[in-house]
Amino acid sequence: MGIITVLTNGFKKIGHSNGGWLLIGMFILLFLMPPFVPRFFVYILGLIYVTSLLAMSLNFLVGFGGMFQFHHAVFYGVGAYTVALILTKTSLPPWVGFVAGPVAAGLVGLLIGWFCVRLTQLYFGMLQISLGSLIWAIVYRWYKFTGGDDGIHGIPMPQALSSLNQAYYFILILLVVSLVLLYSILKSPFGSTLQAIRDNPQRCAAVGVNVRRHQLRAIGIGTFFAGIAGVLFVVLEKSVFPDLLFWTLSLEVFIMCLLGGWFTFGGPILGAAITVALRTFVGKYTEYWTLILGVILILLIFFLPEGVMGYFVEKFKSRENQGSERGIP
Amino acid sequence: MILFTVCSGLSFVLGVLRVPNIAHGSLYMIGAFATFSLSKWIGGPAGFWLALLLAPLVVALISLIAERALFCHLYQREHLMLLLFTFALALILGDLTKIVWGAEYRSVSAPDLLKGSVSILGASFPRYNLFLIFVGLAVAVALWLFVNRTKIGKVSRAAAVDRDMVGLMGINVSWVFAIAFVIGCCLAGLGGALVAPTVSITLGMDHTLIIEAFLIVTIGGLGNMWGALVGSLIFGVTQSLGVLVFPQFAIVFPYAAVVIVLLLRPKGLLKSVW
Amino acid sequence: MLQVERVVKSFDDFLAVNEANLLVQKGEIVAVIGPNGAGKTTLFNLITGQLRRDRGQILFQGEDISELPPYEVCRRGLGRSFQIVNVFHRLTVFDNVQVAVLSHQKKSNTLFHPAGSLAVVETRSLLESVGLAGKERRIVGSLSHGDQKILEIAVALGNNPEMLILDEPTAGMSPEETAATIDLIRHLAKTRGLTILFCEHDMEIVFSISHKIMVMHQGRTLLQGTPEEIRNDPQVQSAYLGGTDA
Repeated sequence: MGIITVLTNGFKKIGHSNGGWLLIGMFILLFLMPPFVPRFFVYILGLIYVTSLLAMSLNFLVGFGGMFQFHHAVFYGVGAYTVALILTKTSLPPWVGFVAGPVAAGLVGLLIGWFCVRLTQLYFGMLQISLGSLIWAIVYRWYKFTGGDDGIHGIPMPQALSSLNQAYYFILILLVVSLVLLYSILKSPFGSTLQAIRDNPQRCAAVGVNVRRHQLRAIGIGTFFAGIAGVLFVVLEKSVFPDLLFWTLSLEVFIMCLLGGWFTFGGPILGAAITVALRTFVGKYTEYWTLILGVILILLIFFLPEGVMGYFVEKFKSRENQGSERGIP
Repeated sequence: MILFTVCSGLSFVLGVLRVPNIAHGSLYMIGAFATFSLSKWIGGPAGFWLALLLAPLVVALISLIAERALFCHLYQREHLMLLLFTFALALILGDLTKIVWGAEYRSVSAPDLLKGSVSILGASFPRYNLFLIFVGLAVAVALWLFVNRTKIGKVSRAAAVDRDMVGLMGINVSWVFAIAFVIGCCLAGLGGALVAPTVSITLGMDHTLIIEAFLIVTIGGLGNMWGALVGSLIFGVTQSLGVLVFPQFAIVFPYAAVVIVLLLRPKGLLKSVW
Repeated sequence: MLQVERVVKSFDDFLAVNEANLLVQKGEIVAVIGPNGAGKTTLFNLITGQLRRDRGQILFQGEDISELPPYEVCRRGLGRSFQIVNVFHRLTVFDNVQVAVLSHQKKSNTLFHPAGSLAVVETRSLLESVGLAGKERRIVGSLSHGDQKILEIAVALGNNPEMLILDEPTAGMSPEETAATIDLIRHLAKTRGLTILFCEHDMEIVFSISHKIMVMHQGRTLLQGTPEEIRNDPQVQSAYLGGTDA
């Protein structure tokens, strides 16, 4: 009931608005691309899609929920490793792995989240880093089971997804579906309440909202989608490694959200796209990508704290506001 | 003990500026590499001792530059921005280290005075470890004196609690922060210098260290120096325990200990400055 | 309706509230007055659950609410506005009030229904009743201070409370805005049958609309009574009204 109507409603809404036609056009264009562009390009796009979903799932919690989700990569990694392990160590059908990935990520998210929501802000973040690092340490050392620091490679994909193009389509479709779902969640009462919690948790409590439980539910959702991103990563790369769970990735995703614009819906996608594109491009000329990333981050902090998209949204809004009646006293 | 030196610096910065300095690990690494270069350049046993003195100063200088040029402009912004800045700094310094020193392993050897072991109560202790304990205690005492006895120390404690008030009293808060930051980073550099003879100096040092340092500071209580000591001890002990009991998963032990502590006492074991 | 009995609250060594007593009957408008630091806001925080009292009892409609967290207190029918404007600054005026209404309708967790179509009527009528109807789509940050304080009250009303606690509702307002707000409060009390507890520094307002007044001084309840009783009491005069005027 709910989800199907949402998807159809969502697509209907997109169809009705002007921006919507642009989005549909882009989607069709992206969908038709693979036969006409070089393989490498298809691969990069696929990577951008996966990273975008990861960034979106983080921003759901950070930009819209106001939580200090400092180790989001853990859930991404859990999703990826779950599907990898199911596909390589068991003879269960692949779709089980695909479903188990996000579910496992969501469950781990809820478990870690349950401990973290009892705390505020920085403590929330630091506890999450500790718990996440624990999981990383276990994965990193458990050579027999998880492949340790080598990871697992050559993960077999079902026939329908084995070629790069097929993987591309699958990822793109799942990305779009996930985005529509995330968007409608944000527009729902759950989403407005979540944003209200971001703005003022104390006030929310005073209007009768059980802030902790609401945040926990949000964490379950955000980590679930991170798990989907993890599964999609495996579909694209056919391998996993412990770096997927490392804290530097968590912070990189944070930067992507910042770069794109925390408080806008599409910002993180832009941030992810820019980051992946830059990383690939820069990687050709120098091995000092982290240096450049650091410099970009500093520039962002000083000049563009609302992110690229945020900057444009602000400009757009101020032009709108100039027409309204009573200005700011 | 090395962990303590590093973590006390991190705790100090955390306490005064209320920002966890992610670049702390990178500064530690630079301290180690600098010790390598300095001791090689000066040469001989004196090289090590001088390097031990100079490397932290080099690190302090770097942090001062970073602070005055960029960091201090951010004090009015929200804490998240400061944190992200330290992350950016960590990224940049990490790669700068790669540029300056290259990617190979380096090593430094301790002077003869500190090599070998000494027998105490029948068990033999490496001399270097005793040296480390001595230095660690010296650092603890020095920091304690600084914070509690000197004017600057007291001011920084006040600034930790209420920076606006301190500003209103006519004290330049920005300089207080600068000094606190530099001292904290200097300690990181000292830690790096101290660790240099005991491990191979590599590029991943900053990453492993910063997570450990963070966790230690968190379980000890944010901003609390004695907490850093307690945390370092817990971490060190559980790590040794792990090596003895279950070598393959040795690194899991300290992490698990941290998790347990945080679950029981989320704000850390000792009172945090906040 | 609300009974506060011998409540004590101290922070480390500082005794903020020292045996405070308060009685509010249904339908009354009760004011709490006292010099700054007397403990009024602390008392309010204790009642609505932001703080836990050390000793004493707080009863609302016969039920002991001393131990309840703020969101439970709200669900029992006790709404509150804050002294410093405390709203959702990145959301629009409409969204601000709607969050409260949705919470009241227990729809905060609805996942897949667009919020734009829920609770619209209730939210709109609420905004109309406080005079903010034309400013629905404005982001809160761009409102004037006076409007923001009115929004405070509107958000608190979103839960359709039986009793409303207002912490300095006219602080920082111009005389016109103050008069309008007081009229609004009186009007709302009558039309919605609200019981109101508020604190203020402006004595004219206090004496003009309150049925009962409670005087606090250094955390204690000096006296609670009708405006006449308060005006004529020598203790109150010396502690508050007589020497220093607010």
